[in-house]
Amino acid sequence: MRSHAHAFDRQAAAAAHEDLATRWLRFVLDRFLLLPLGVVIALVWAQTEPDGYFRFAQAIAYPVNEIGMAIFLALIAQELYESLLPGGALASWRNRALPGLAAVAGLVGSVVTYFLLIGAWHEQALAPAWPAAAAVDLAAGYYLVRLIYPRRSRVVSFLLLTGVLTDSIVIAIVSLRPSSSAIHLAGLTLFAAALASAVLLRLGGVKSFWPYWTISGSLSWFALNWIDIHPALALVPIVPLLPHDRRAVEVFADRPDADPVHAGEHAWNGAAQIAVFLFGMANGGVILRHADTGTWAVLLAAVIGRPIGVMTAIALVVAAGFRLPAHLRWRDITVVAMATTTGFTFALFLGAAMLPIGAVREQVTIGALATVVGALLTLAIAAVLGAGRFRRGLERS
Amino acid sequence: MARFLSSLLIAAAAGWSAAAAQAPVTAGAVLRFAVIGDNGTGEAPQYDVARQMLKTHAAVPFEFVLMMGDNLYGSQRPRDFADKFEIPYGPLLRMGIPFYAALGNHDEPDNRNYPQFNMNGQRFYSVARGTARFFFLDTNFLDRQQMEWFEGALREATEEWKIVIFHHPIYSDGDRHGPNVAIRVALEPLLVRYDVDVVFSGHEHVYERIKPQKGIAYFIIGSSGQLRKGGLTPSAMTLAGFDQDRAFLVASIDGGDLAFQAISRTGVVVDSGVLHERVLTER
Repeated sequence: MRSHAHAFDRQAAAAAHEDLATRWLRFVLDRFLLLPLGVVIALVWAQTEPDGYFRFAQAIAYPVNEIGMAIFLALIAQELYESLLPGGALASWRNRALPGLAAVAGLVGSVVTYFLLIGAWHEQALAPAWPAAAAVDLAAGYYLVRLIYPRRSRVVSFLLLTGVLTDSIVIAIVSLRPSSSAIHLAGLTLFAAALASAVLLRLGGVKSFWPYWTISGSLSWFALNWIDIHPALALVPIVPLLPHDRRAVEVFADRPDADPVHAGEHAWNGAAQIAVFLFGMANGGVILRHADTGTWAVLLAAVIGRPIGVMTAIALVVAAGFRLPAHLRWRDITVVAMATTTGFTFALFLGAAMLPIGAVREQVTIGALATVVGALLTLAIAAVLGAGRFRRGLERS
Repeated sequence: MARFLSSLLIAAAAGWSAAAAQAPVTAGAVLRFAVIGDNGTGEAPQYDVARQMLKTHAAVPFEFVLMMGDNLYGSQRPRDFADKFEIPYGPLLRMGIPFYAALGNHDEPDNRNYPQFNMNGQRFYSVARGTARFFFLDTNFLDRQQMEWFEGALREATEEWKIVIFHHPIYSDGDRHGPNVAIRVALEPLLVRYDVDVVFSGHEHVYERIKPQKGIAYFIIGSSGQLRKGGLTPSAMTLAGFDQDRAFLVASIDGGDLAFQAISRTGVVVDSGVLHERVLTER
């Protein structure tokens, strides 16, 4: 009897242990924490055995950055597109004007600061790296604001829209840059064929994601390569053509929608998690002593230039007679402006997409990683201003 | 003899256990050139080095000068090209000695169009002189186009000596930057596969000669204007170094031998030796 009881206890303990492990794994996966984990491993490896690390990183860079990241970017695009559909978490146009202004002003603030700094330091070779200074890490900003505000707070939507618009503008500018080679008519034709195949699948009532990704996505990937646009964006134009349901839950929600349309997306989530982990491994490893002008320019542009841009633009609009939305106060706007300062994932992605191996990329990568200090500054400023949960804390005390 | 002794003293003072043997760069050699790096400060020490180069030229009439990048620091307006390049090296330029430049992190990308750098508007290019071909790379951005060009140019080069110039050193004992391993992993397979003999770099503001790696000799000449005094920590990889004053290098290629001397701002030979053309058995 006693041995049965012991066996039962062991089983219960094992089940509890497994449950804890599962919950931790879910926590890590839901928050895309495999990316920073990959970065940390890469950083340690690069400091301790750099030759081995860079051989590994350069060997996997192409499949990870140009194919694997297409899956990750498609997932982000899918979440955001559905959130913008009627009934979605970000569907209302009513409050989009302010995030639009914040996005443009933050972008201008960060880019102008970046160019002022590299101009003052006389390092014009760093100019092509500006997108890394302008990028906003959506997931980092989202979870940061969620730490400060309740889940249903409109501040969360404000942050997400600001970040999405910022990254969309940067990616559009980067994609539309003058091509180093003549744009092939054949490439554009292939791209049109990719879109047409997705439309046909949709008209044919195909619900599964797989045909869209494998047929239309592959055509789009080859077409973008041909046109000289980063192929990691290949699935993004396909996303609006997929069968969609209104996203009932919030963007980046812990618990995904449980409808048939999203089943394929859940399967792809696993692939995206592996992709972002490998992305962190391939691109996050830098030798920290190579921090230089580009590092400081990216960091200062993101952490100082962007919030100054956002706050200045909104102050000018208010001074011109417009009123802030009722649910937003200046302290909330300050917190959102600061929460967009972490570039991390998107800064790394844009750095890797725009810059080849070389000294400039190393400096910029360190700067992109260093923008995590923006998260700490955001929490500190939220505490000082008494924003969100900190306000309740102040009131209680 | 006095110069030889002073070179020993300087090298010993800098912490080297053995000074390099004197190997004078002879006036009768087939091909002679000078090497400078991180020079464009426009300040007095750069002018001192330039004067020392002129004195050296009287004894060893080098035919051209290689520049390792950071050819101009600070602002880079026409007046700066005068103050930081044309005036200090004016006597050499007036003698018709061409300067061939690589781009460093402080150089504006458009400087490749400056006629006196002889880059013909290219970030990366090669120049053949006598029995040697010199390949200039832009290690700020090792893009695919440059890598493909470099491999093709190495493959097609028929010259006896292959010498590669780029700003960021891939082997270094410098305290500030150290070796750039990401660039090393990208470039070294090509350097080895196509029998490159010598690599010259700058960036670290000292002079250093590295023990040959996979048969390739590596030099850092990054103190022809800037200086990081005491900025070198010798390792088992270090063959020679000098971090107490500015320096430049002169070299001559005579058949299968490349003789070199590193000379300080005050004219002291701080390192010298002879490299023999790399042969496959050295790998």
